[in-house]
Amino acid sequence: MTPVIETKNLSKWYGNVLGLSDVSLEIESGITGLLGPNGAGKSTFMKLITGQMKPNIGAVTIRGKRVWNDYRLFSRVGFCPEPDAFYEDVTGWEFLTGLLRFYGFTRAEAADRATRALAIVELSADKDRKVRSYSRGMRQRVKFAQAIAHDPDVMILDEPFSGLDPLGKRRLIKLVKDFESEGRTVLVSSHVLPEIEAVTSRIIMIHQGKILAQGDIHMVRDLIESHPHMISLRSPAARAVAAAFVDDASVLKMTFGTDGRSLVVETHNRDAFFSRLQAVVVEKGIEVDEIDSPDDNLQAVFDYLVGK
Amino acid sequence: METKGRTPAVSLGASVREVFSFFFFLGRRTGKTRVFFLVGMIPVGIAVLVRILMAGRADDLAAVFSEILMVFFVTFYIVILSLFYGTSIVAEELEGRTLSYLTSRPLSKTGIFLGKYAAYTSLIFVMVTASLFLSYFIMNSHRLREAALYGAFLRYAGVLGLGILAYTAFFAFLGTFLKRAILVGLMFGFGWENVIQYFPGSTQKFSLVHYLKSLLPRQPSAGGKLAILLFRLEPSSPATAIISLVVVAAVFVALGCWVFRTKEYLFEE
Repeated sequence: MTPVIETKNLSKWYGNVLGLSDVSLEIESGITGLLGPNGAGKSTFMKLITGQMKPNIGAVTIRGKRVWNDYRLFSRVGFCPEPDAFYEDVTGWEFLTGLLRFYGFTRAEAADRATRALAIVELSADKDRKVRSYSRGMRQRVKFAQAIAHDPDVMILDEPFSGLDPLGKRRLIKLVKDFESEGRTVLVSSHVLPEIEAVTSRIIMIHQGKILAQGDIHMVRDLIESHPHMISLRSPAARAVAAAFVDDASVLKMTFGTDGRSLVVETHNRDAFFSRLQAVVVEKGIEVDEIDSPDDNLQAVFDYLVGK
Repeated sequence: METKGRTPAVSLGASVREVFSFFFFLGRRTGKTRVFFLVGMIPVGIAVLVRILMAGRADDLAAVFSEILMVFFVTFYIVILSLFYGTSIVAEELEGRTLSYLTSRPLSKTGIFLGKYAAYTSLIFVMVTASLFLSYFIMNSHRLREAALYGAFLRYAGVLGLGILAYTAFFAFLGTFLKRAILVGLMFGFGWENVIQYFPGSTQKFSLVHYLKSLLPRQPSAGGKLAILLFRLEPSSPATAIISLVVVAAVFVALGCWVFRTKEYLFEE
């Protein structure tokens, strides 16, 4: 299959700081998730493939055409940038119709498309409010609307789910998945694994400006499973909890905090640990203030993968 | 949503037109425009005051207009407006991180720059003309039946229009590559442009204000022993002045387009 987006030896640095290093990728139609912790180089990559920045080395093509300074390509590309930035003094309606006119649509066409895009992101009722008065979630939705309003074949969405409430996130995830069924190409970035997992199983993992892996998301899950999980909890009876797990073979290590109330457990079977913890807490009447799983953040996963 | 078969890119003319419409509309909404519009009411207030204080001395009013109010327009109002709007053509997109909304559309960067330049020069011209119109006709309300009055008004408006085109082009060019373009623009607009007028000979031709003043009707200059300390305009011919201002505007617009098209703008995250 011919790749829709292709990068060859793509590198970008800011002064002495490396933003992206020797990235060669082929992205085909369907949804591809770009996954990486904050500062991994996701936004640099997104800016390079949308022609916002010029590569120091290498090239980016969309449908075989070089992106940098080829504005003609953008009639078929929709871009949802990551920053929460807008022309604040316009209404949501004016924002969309104004940007749609840049595609050469007539006033009536632009109005029609803006109406549909606002309906899709459920902002029709608020279209006449100024963007500056929108909540973070509404701003995120109108930003998404401007990326889809001209009906692009290729959509590049940089952290589109950030700032959305769970319901809004679920709706947007459904929308993105609908685009795949229409045969479009969607590249969506996030630093939150479950967000990417919800939209696609095809991922590109990026870390410190380099592509770590490309393929199926289950591979990442398997990699995570093969490493011990860290679970931290806070309880006035932290030592009693620890005592209950001393003979548990799935627990590899336990560390107490200096305050005597915190405990960090390393286990290679998280599900078994939680199941036993629940039983212990009920059986012994132990009060637990907080349970956290630091491994759930992407940085920890990447640290495992790069062998830190 | 169906859009297959639409035009792949917007022509340069259409790009300029659409960017102009959007930013002319947007420009009217900003707080900056409201503030500068109020500043433009200063000469109107002065005109009202002068009319009251100089009631019965109609012959002196023309001199007051050209020596005080036009000086305000030429050396302050159009310079400050051009500075703030010209430098903002690129700077506001970078500071507001909105540039990607423009550069991810099928618009050429030349079209974006020209469209915003056209929008902002038009906006400035509207503000300046409104202020000029009110102050001029308040000052000359006793001569409204004289046809020459309207010709003179058009001449003043034309001179200011040329000044707006030239200054905005220069400041827009500075804004395409300087981080602190306003500061440099302030030094140019209110430093260089003022100081160089006091230099005799052809040195003053290295300022834009020289050509603007060359196009204005002149009052007889003051004489006496202190005359050497006073600014003495050694005017260029009207044709030279007009051509110079048009060339300055064209050259700096072209340079601005070139820099904007070729430069990579990095946002400060």
